[in-house]
Amino acid sequence: MGYVAVEAGEDVIRRAEELFEKQRVAGESEQVSVEQVDEQFSRLTAQAMSEGGLYAPRLAAIAVKQAQGDTAEAAFLLRAYRSTLERWGSSTPTETAESFTTRRVSPAYKDVPGGQVLGATKDYTQRLLDFELTDDDGSDPTDDWDVEAEDPPQLRNVMDVLREQGLVHDPAGDSDGAEDGSEDGDGSESPGGTEPFDATRDPVTYPAPRSAVLQELARGETGAVTALGYSELRGYGQVHPTLGEVRTGELPVTIEHPYTGDEVEVTSATVTETECVVPIYEKSDDPQFSFGYGLVFGRNERKAIGMGILDAAIQLDGEGPAQDAEFVLDVVDGIDSFGFIEHLKLPHYVTFQSILDRIRSIRERTAAASPDADATPQEVNADD
Amino acid sequence: MTDGRSVAADAESVDDLLEGVRDDGLAGYNYAYLDEHTKREVRRGVLKAIALPGHQVPFASREMPLARGWGTGGIQTSLSLLGPEDTFKVIDQGSDESVNAANIRRLATRTADVETTTDATEASVIQTRHRIPEEVLDDDQILVLQVPITDPLRRVDGSDDANRRRHAHGNYSKMWVALYENVVEYGEIKLSSRYPVLVDDRYLMDPSPIPRWDVSKLDDADNLFLFAAGREARMYAVPPHTDVEPLAFEDRQFQVERFSEQACAYCGSEDTFLTEVETDDGDRRYACNDTAFCEKRQTDSELSKAHHRGGTDHAWGPPTDPGVPYGTDRDREERRPAADASGGEGE
Repeated sequence: MGYVAVEAGEDVIRRAEELFEKQRVAGESEQVSVEQVDEQFSRLTAQAMSEGGLYAPRLAAIAVKQAQGDTAEAAFLLRAYRSTLERWGSSTPTETAESFTTRRVSPAYKDVPGGQVLGATKDYTQRLLDFELTDDDGSDPTDDWDVEAEDPPQLRNVMDVLREQGLVHDPAGDSDGAEDGSEDGDGSESPGGTEPFDATRDPVTYPAPRSAVLQELARGETGAVTALGYSELRGYGQVHPTLGEVRTGELPVTIEHPYTGDEVEVTSATVTETECVVPIYEKSDDPQFSFGYGLVFGRNERKAIGMGILDAAIQLDGEGPAQDAEFVLDVVDGIDSFGFIEHLKLPHYVTFQSILDRIRSIRERTAAASPDADATPQEVNADD
Repeated sequence: MTDGRSVAADAESVDDLLEGVRDDGLAGYNYAYLDEHTKREVRRGVLKAIALPGHQVPFASREMPLARGWGTGGIQTSLSLLGPEDTFKVIDQGSDESVNAANIRRLATRTADVETTTDATEASVIQTRHRIPEEVLDDDQILVLQVPITDPLRRVDGSDDANRRRHAHGNYSKMWVALYENVVEYGEIKLSSRYPVLVDDRYLMDPSPIPRWDVSKLDDADNLFLFAAGREARMYAVPPHTDVEPLAFEDRQFQVERFSEQACAYCGSEDTFLTEVETDDGDRRYACNDTAFCEKRQTDSELSKAHHRGGTDHAWGPPTDPGVPYGTDRDREERRPAADASGGEGE
C-alpha cells in the first residue's frame, strides 16, 4: 500500500528478531554461558538488577546475555518480568551495620570504629589495559594468602557517631503531610506513615514522600544518577557532601516466619550503601548537617554516591536542577527515558503532516505580508 | 468485556487454579498478561476517568513487555477490557500493518485469545496511536488512544505539581496567553497535533497527538474514548456525548489540516486525512492515512463514512469543503442532533 516508512507484518518482525539473535551467535567463539555472565560480569548484572528493581542474579545474567550486554535493555527485561510476579510478602527492615561487610571506607574520619576496610577495589590502581587478559588462565592472585579465618567485625555505622552528637538533621522528622502521595489512597499506608511508599504499586504525585524519592533513585539509571548528582558538584547546586562512609556487603534479607512469627534470614543481597552529610544548615540557631542516603543493588559505588547527593539535594528543595524532585524523578528512570527516546523511531507521518500544514500556512501568511523579507526560522511544536 | 477466565472461585486445588492461566496463550502468564488485581485496578481507573471527563487519573502503571512510550498505557487498558468474546483492532498512525501495531496485536492474540480485525466497524475495542478512524464509531465500541504526554499544560509549564493545581482551579490562563502569543507572533495558532481541548466545559485535555482533523470527532460522539499513558501513569476519558471544544479565539478560529485540491492517489477520496509522500522521481503524492478505510473506498468510491449505521449519519470530523470554516458556534450547533441542544447550558 504505497510507501509507508516502517510498515510490515509479523513475518518481518520475526525476521528482524532473528537477525538480532544472529549478531550474538555469528562470531566464532564459544557461546558465553549464563554462569559465566553471572560470575565474571557481576557488575553488569548488578547494574541491570539495580535499574530493573529486581534482585535476581541468575535472571539478570540471562537478561544481560539476551540483551547482548546492553544494561538498559537487560534492566527492562527484568522489570517487565518483575511486573508479572505475584507479591507474597515484605521483608523486615534490616540494619545495614549488621551486613556482612567486605568493604567500608570512611572519607570523613582518618580512623573509625572498626577501621577502614579497603576490600576489593580498583580505586587506587593505575588504569592500565591488562594485555595479559588475552591469555587469561584464571589463576587466583589471592591463592597464597595466609588469612586467619575469623568472623568479620560488625562495622558500626560512622554516621551514628555524628548522630549521637546531634549534628545530623533527621529527614524522618520532616512531616510535610506528603507521606501519602497517592491520589487514590488505598489504605496501604500505615497511619504513622512508616510504611514506605511503593512507586510500583502507586503512581507518584508531587510533593512525593521521601521513601518514594529514595525508591525511584535506587531504581534510577546509573548514568543519569551519576550525571544529575555531578551537576550539583559542578556548580548547578550547593550539595558537595562529605561521605560518612561507603560500604559494600551482603545485606541479610529477613522475613517474618509465617508460623512462628520469628524473623528468619532467607537470603542475602549484595548492596552498596553510602551516607553523606552536607554543611548546609536549615536553622541558624541549631545548625545541623543536611543528610543524604544512597543504597543500590550490587557493587556500584558511583550510583550509590550519586543517589546520596540527589537525596540531599532534593531535601534542600532549592533552585538547582537536581534539587527539584519532580525534575529528577521524571528523568532519572532508564526504562522510561530509553523507551521514550527510542519511540522517535516509530512512524510519525500523521503528526508530521500536521506540522507541515502549520509551517506552510504560516509561511504563506508571512510571504503574503512581506514578499521580500527572508522567512525567519520558525519552530513548530512537534513534541509528541 | 469481562474476563471470561478470571480466577475460578470454585477451584478445588492449585492445579485447578493454574488450569485457568495455562491456556493456549503465553505459557506461565495470566490471561491477558496482567494479573487480575492489576486489571481490576486499571478498570477502576477507567471508571473514575469516565466519571470525571477529561480529568487525568493516576494509576499504578505496570512495566509491560513493550518499551515505555510505545503504547504501554494503551495496551494495559486494552488488556484490562478485553475478553475472549472481543474483536480487537490496533492502528498505528492510521495503519494496521505498522510494525508496532503488529507487535501490540500479537501480544493481545497471544495472551488474551481475541479475534483481531482491520475493519473499524467490526472491532469492539480499537487501540490507536495518533489517529481516530475515518469511519464513524458506534456506541458499543471503545477507542483506546495511546498518549505520550498527558497534560496540555506541559507546553507552558513542565511541573506536574503546578499543573495539577491549575486543573483543580480550572485556571487555564497560561495556556490562553500562550495561544495569544502565537497569534501575535505568527498571525495564527501554530499548534499542529496534540491540540488542547476543553472537555465538558471543565478540564483542559490533551487529545493525544491526533491531527486537528480528528479533534472534532471527540465532540458528542456515540462511542467511549479512553486515553492512557503508561510511562506517565495517567489515564483519562471522553465518555459518549460529551462536549469537547478545541481552544481558539473568536477571531482566530480552530483550523484543521487542509489538503487543497488533493485526493488520495489510491481511492480518490477528498474527505479523508491524507499524508504526503515525496516519490523517487521528485513528485509529491497524497494518500489516505486510514489504510483500512482506503481499501474499502478503492472497491466502492462512494462509500459513506457512516455506511454501517443503517443510514443514520453523524458528524464525524471536519466539514470537508475547504470553503467552510470550522469551529464557529453555529457550525457546532448544526453538527449536533437537535434534541441535544436542550441538554447543555451553553451560551
